[in-house]
Amino acid sequence: MGDQPTFTLHVDQNKYLPTDGREVHAVLTVTSSGGAPADVSATEAAEVIIVDTSGSMSGSKIRDARQAAATAVETLREGAYFAVISGTGSAKVVYPGGGRLVQADQATRAEAIRAIGKLSASGGTAIGEWLKLAGHLLSAHPNAVRHAILMTDGQNNERDSVFESVLKAWSGKFTCDCLGIGTDWKTGELRKVAEALLGTVEFVRNQHELEDFFRRIIQTSMSKTVPDLALRLWVPQGARLLFVKQVIPELFDLTGKRVDVNPLTGDYPIGAWGAEEREYHICVEVPPGQAGTEIRAGWVKLVRPDTQHEYAKGNVLAQWTDDLALSTRINHRVAHYTGQAELNDLIQDGLSARAAGDVDGATARLGRAMKLATESGREDTARLLNRLVEVDPGDGTARLRRNVDKADEIELDTVSVRTSRLRKSEEGS
Amino acid sequence: MSCPFCEAPVVAGDAFCETCGHSLTSPACTSCGAPAVDAEGYCERCGLRQPTGRDHAELELPDGTAGITDRGLRRARNEDAFSLVPLAPRGTVPVPESAATVPRRPADADARDGGGAPAVVAVVCDGVGSSPRADDASSAAVEAAADALARGLTHEEAFALAGQAVRKLATGPDDAPACTYVAAVARPDRVSICWAGDSRAYWLPDGTLLTEDDVARGGEITAWLGADYPDVTPRTRVFTPPGPGLLLVCSDGLWRYLNGYAFPAAGTPLGMARRMLRHALDSGGHDNVTICLIPLGGTHG
Repeated sequence: MGDQPTFTLHVDQNKYLPTDGREVHAVLTVTSSGGAPADVSATEAAEVIIVDTSGSMSGSKIRDARQAAATAVETLREGAYFAVISGTGSAKVVYPGGGRLVQADQATRAEAIRAIGKLSASGGTAIGEWLKLAGHLLSAHPNAVRHAILMTDGQNNERDSVFESVLKAWSGKFTCDCLGIGTDWKTGELRKVAEALLGTVEFVRNQHELEDFFRRIIQTSMSKTVPDLALRLWVPQGARLLFVKQVIPELFDLTGKRVDVNPLTGDYPIGAWGAEEREYHICVEVPPGQAGTEIRAGWVKLVRPDTQHEYAKGNVLAQWTDDLALSTRINHRVAHYTGQAELNDLIQDGLSARAAGDVDGATARLGRAMKLATESGREDTARLLNRLVEVDPGDGTARLRRNVDKADEIELDTVSVRTSRLRKSEEGS
Repeated sequence: MSCPFCEAPVVAGDAFCETCGHSLTSPACTSCGAPAVDAEGYCERCGLRQPTGRDHAELELPDGTAGITDRGLRRARNEDAFSLVPLAPRGTVPVPESAATVPRRPADADARDGGGAPAVVAVVCDGVGSSPRADDASSAAVEAAADALARGLTHEEAFALAGQAVRKLATGPDDAPACTYVAAVARPDRVSICWAGDSRAYWLPDGTLLTEDDVARGGEITAWLGADYPDVTPRTRVFTPPGPGLLLVCSDGLWRYLNGYAFPAAGTPLGMARRMLRHALDSGGHDNVTICLIPLGGTHG
């Protein structure tokens, strides 16, 4: 029949630990066939398009935003449920109204685009309100792949506590990808949205490209065939799951998203899936063991928590040995993603230090980041780093540049979560 | 008592936890005791991979022939295997096929007293550590080879059958279980040996090595049974015992510690084999250890 998408889960690790070893690392590669193309229409899709119409959007920005939203509506697949929200100090449904989503067809698309054409810019920015309305609209479709796209050009006017309580309330209820335009928005704010709602943050540096970003994000959302999957991770009694991170396509720390299943097992939500491949890096701290002993240090299952359906599973093992040739063998995949996570940390910490006026701290971190980015094939990141920090090619000493373009800083901030794949030549044994 | 998985209270005798639905009747873990060993052999509470029945096994035949296999101290499991089968003396009816893997008190105990030289078939295989399911390879090989030799087939035929049994375990070229091989048909006046890899035979008490390892300069073996080496040719040798003594057939888990070792000079073969195992474990027990001792020529056993 081929109705169900097929998933595979591959575990890559060095299971051997030295006799005093406690940390077990593994990289999990999850691949989905996405199912037969006919199934895409069998999966319900629910999409909310959120357009910032605050006062700062006036002029060319609102024109580009209208165009982008119209393109998003055109990109929706036939039959997908959708709504368009305009966001200011409050949130308003631009289309279809009536507190519900409507299915995309020729007529509803045309009506939506007409309504979008009337959008004008005035008022404040209350991102929490926008998300709350999107959440309410999407919650009428519990079996759908529920997704929102949010664009903004400014910072949130809501109190932090209000904003955060909205994020907490709607975390896991739908996915939201965020776009920032201009240089007045706060990466930290949109990152909070993305972290709570399993989404991404991108910087639309050239405002006229907003339409392309909308199209791509809606296309990706429309290609999802399985909603709401989770990595179900078991670790033995006495062990601790130190972290669970998505590392491909970009870094996303899932550690704090655990939903307990039982004392030894937790679910880590990984959202909706189409035909794609993602990788996860997990680290388990195990109790001490004796040479020769082998344990299952982690049991990974790919599940759909609402139906308990299990799509794939795999073992993370640990075996203690006094053979150093075994225990010191480097798993290249684990090492590579450890490096990518370190690069992200260095950039984030470096930018924070720079914003706080800590020149030495910023210089040290961004300089080291430059070295790592270059070594791991992240040319784009290295190029951006080079606009903030100057590294002497001779002695490697770093120095912060003056008069940095704010857009370069925002771009570096948003691309720091990207990761490069391990190059084939580095995979080794 | 409480459920080993969700820690909810459960009633003794219940088959399933009413809270989490997990079975409560799985085998008990040898380490933490939870009834939680799953089909893959891991404890679902503490994670331990369960030791198998092969971790330590001993066998003694009526004529005193003894075999021991042991996991050693450093390996997670025992991937060695051995088989010892008593044979009827030449000229009598061969032992039926079914006797090959289950040595039994045979009619040839009488035959032996009545004259004619008793014979024993010994096969030792050592799973290649870098291959998958090497423990399956070694047990399939010893079973097939011992069965063939007990039916009176030649060494070459027995080796071919063992190879077939091991190759059947492979699911593809990257999934080829593999093992070494040494087989002996031992009679007081004639010992024939066939081998591939680095498992060995010795003549005791003087410790004469009867086989030559198939090993490259770097230490890796150059001959083995497995689907990734279908046309391997074994080597054979016939040895005439100079007098009463013992044939030792063993894996490298023992012989790596034999340099300068004084073999036990007295006791039953089983007692001697136990002392030799103790020596291997005391020396580090880095690998699985398998020892078969066959008394030949009457002074022993």
